[in-house]
Amino acid sequence: MGRTKQVSAIARQDRIGLLYVAPFFVHFLLFGAIPIVFTTFLAFFNADMDLYYEFMDTFDPGVLGNAFIGFDNFRELGSDPYFWLALKNTFSIWAISTIPQLIVAFGIASLLANPNLRASVFWRTLLMVPNITSVLAVAIVFQQIFDRDFGMVNTLLYYVGRGPVEWTNETLPSHFAIAMMIDWRWLGYNSLIFLAAILAIPRELYESASLDGASRWQVTRFVTIPQLRNTITFMVVIGTIGGLGLFVEPLIYGGSYDGGANNQFLTMTLYLYKNAFLNMRLGYGAAIGVGITIVVIVVSIVNFLITRRIASEDSK
Amino acid sequence: MARRHIVATVIGSALVLGALVAAPSQAAPKVTLQVWGFGNVFEPNIVMKYGMIKGNKSWETLQQSLIKKKKLKVLNPNVTLVISGGGSQPDAAYFKLSAALPGNAAPDVAAVEMAYMGQTRVKSTANQFIDLNTYGANKIKGEYLPFRYEQGLSANGKQIGIPTDVGGLAVAYRTDLFKKAGLPTARASVAKLWPTWEKFIATGKKFQAKSSAAFIDSSGNMFQAILNQGTSKYSNPKTKKYDYVRAGSGFKSFAISNPAVKRAFKLTADAGCTSRKNGKCSGSIGTKIPQYNTGWGAAIEKNAFATVLAPAWALDYITQFAPKSRGKWDVAAAPGVGGNLGGSMLTIPKKADNIDAAWKFIKWYLAPTQQLDTFKQYKLFPTTYKLYKQPAIKNYKDRFFNNAPLGVIYANSAIKLKPILAGPLDRAIDNQYGAALSRVSFGNQTKVERGCKAKAQTTEAAWCQAVSDIGRLGLSGK
Repeated sequence: MGRTKQVSAIARQDRIGLLYVAPFFVHFLLFGAIPIVFTTFLAFFNADMDLYYEFMDTFDPGVLGNAFIGFDNFRELGSDPYFWLALKNTFSIWAISTIPQLIVAFGIASLLANPNLRASVFWRTLLMVPNITSVLAVAIVFQQIFDRDFGMVNTLLYYVGRGPVEWTNETLPSHFAIAMMIDWRWLGYNSLIFLAAILAIPRELYESASLDGASRWQVTRFVTIPQLRNTITFMVVIGTIGGLGLFVEPLIYGGSYDGGANNQFLTMTLYLYKNAFLNMRLGYGAAIGVGITIVVIVVSIVNFLITRRIASEDSK
Repeated sequence: MARRHIVATVIGSALVLGALVAAPSQAAPKVTLQVWGFGNVFEPNIVMKYGMIKGNKSWETLQQSLIKKKKLKVLNPNVTLVISGGGSQPDAAYFKLSAALPGNAAPDVAAVEMAYMGQTRVKSTANQFIDLNTYGANKIKGEYLPFRYEQGLSANGKQIGIPTDVGGLAVAYRTDLFKKAGLPTARASVAKLWPTWEKFIATGKKFQAKSSAAFIDSSGNMFQAILNQGTSKYSNPKTKKYDYVRAGSGFKSFAISNPAVKRAFKLTADAGCTSRKNGKCSGSIGTKIPQYNTGWGAAIEKNAFATVLAPAWALDYITQFAPKSRGKWDVAAAPGVGGNLGGSMLTIPKKADNIDAAWKFIKWYLAPTQQLDTFKQYKLFPTTYKLYKQPAIKNYKDRFFNNAPLGVIYANSAIKLKPILAGPLDRAIDNQYGAALSRVSFGNQTKVERGCKAKAQTTEAAWCQAVSDIGRLGLSGK
């Protein structure tokens, strides 16, 4: 008797618990799962907006049947040089932005971790300001900073005696400019994550290191960095996901859906958007979406393998 | 028990309150119109005469203060106008609208840019809009420029849009910079410098030989301007077909075979690249400054260029972004015959909540009186062309532009235009040609398509890539 009561109490608690997590699952179903299924479905059709309207008006399956093209969109995607160019650009911008960002963020976090630092709360708050600034505003300001004719960067270069750099019209400079935009927004955020991780490292480790006569550099190299492995992995994963979805920055920076006249900074999501909306090929846009998903899965597997290796090194 | 009682009381009082609020509205039915625009389609000083503005703080405060000072009497205080999208890009505005059309979020009034009318005209898309003829659009048809009015006609014969302003086309030029370069400065003699586009480019080269400024702000604009002077663009007016065939199956389209398109492409490329160094473009009569923003305005004030290919609405951008250039400008006729850039249509989506009120608003906003008012305040040129003969337009002069008779100049350019058949991919094709022309003048046409007999960086290589890219747009023949 007493036991059944206990069980039902637990079951009831479970049900209440489900209620608590329900909002996430409802949200995920509506804005995650259903769109993913629908996108995959759409990728098998030669669909444009007009077809969509026709279907919505008539609900006639024949409308869809006529537009069904099997794997044509995927075949086209495989041989589409622009998709592969977009993939290359996306990874290039990601590499240029993430690697230096992690190094500088670590440096800033080390400075902030100094217990003798004055007004540390002020500095930490200051670091978050770029992150809460609107991306649109950031992109417009950076567009002006890297303007070819009247931009700040080229003006400074002029005084050093260097010719104007084509910050939008050439591939690497444009990747650099966009990477700077990303770094400016995310540097503070990443620094704070580093800072939190550094402050969580047990003080005993530092004390024993100093007893052993380790130099400042040796403490960083052999105590701090190994302790931050999981944090670094986390930041690389988050950075990769953000990097693969890079959209607003190149859109505003170039002012078009092409990522520059020569597609020099065309990213994957920008290419999806251009095809689905500007070129009105919803089906092909959906196929690009599936392509991006596959890329993300591959990258996630690589990330997983690296994380596992790091974790096993930790347990040594 | 007690709890239930409270709930009942709350619901009850809410009902009573609702009835109290609803009661006066029976006398004068309150209507809220959701109005979606972009750029400067809806101008504040005009729309605030019609109804109460909501959702835009600065317009709201302006309206309230004018009402308080008794400088403004709102015609329909029972109509609330929620105007959104001001200043935004026409592309983004259209994407937003196209997603909202079949659902309940559709606005009451939506502006559609000309480049998207081809898509909007297609059958099932056109069915998402109200046929305005059923609301008496026929009766006001005669007021509007025939070529502009026809652009609102769908493929299945419905009138889905009423035209807003017409861009027209003229050349705004800097008299001070022209004088320094030894060119004439009087309107009539300046227009004689460029009867054709070829002469326009030649004048540009001559100007730049004697001046440190560029001749024009953006040579890329020429492409659309030249095409719009013709009778066809990307869709064949004879077959009335858009004939887009998927790439790979022997891509053929009027969009690439039309000689008018090729001519406009070549002329624009010639203007965008006037000299070469090691095959790469090194000189242009235009700058690379993006148009119609603060940077563009700053460039004007720094004398970076001497002319702007200006539809009437662009003059407003000059006065807004480069106020210090006041009096240094004049306006002359454009090369070629007539001309137009831009323009849009006001439509009512089928799912709109207040169709009657929306139609009343459109009819009012685009009536001759309001169009004249809009022209005087914001230089958007009227499409109600009977105004052109009235003194208000005929004698209109603008001090900012050295008292140029803007009314006569733009009327002359707008009246000469002929209708061009629009296709669903017009905007996408415009985009590909535009990018190709930029590649030539920016010197980054590095790609040479397979089977293209041209060297990298040449106009021909850019053309080849544009043709291939347009082939990728592939839409089954509709």
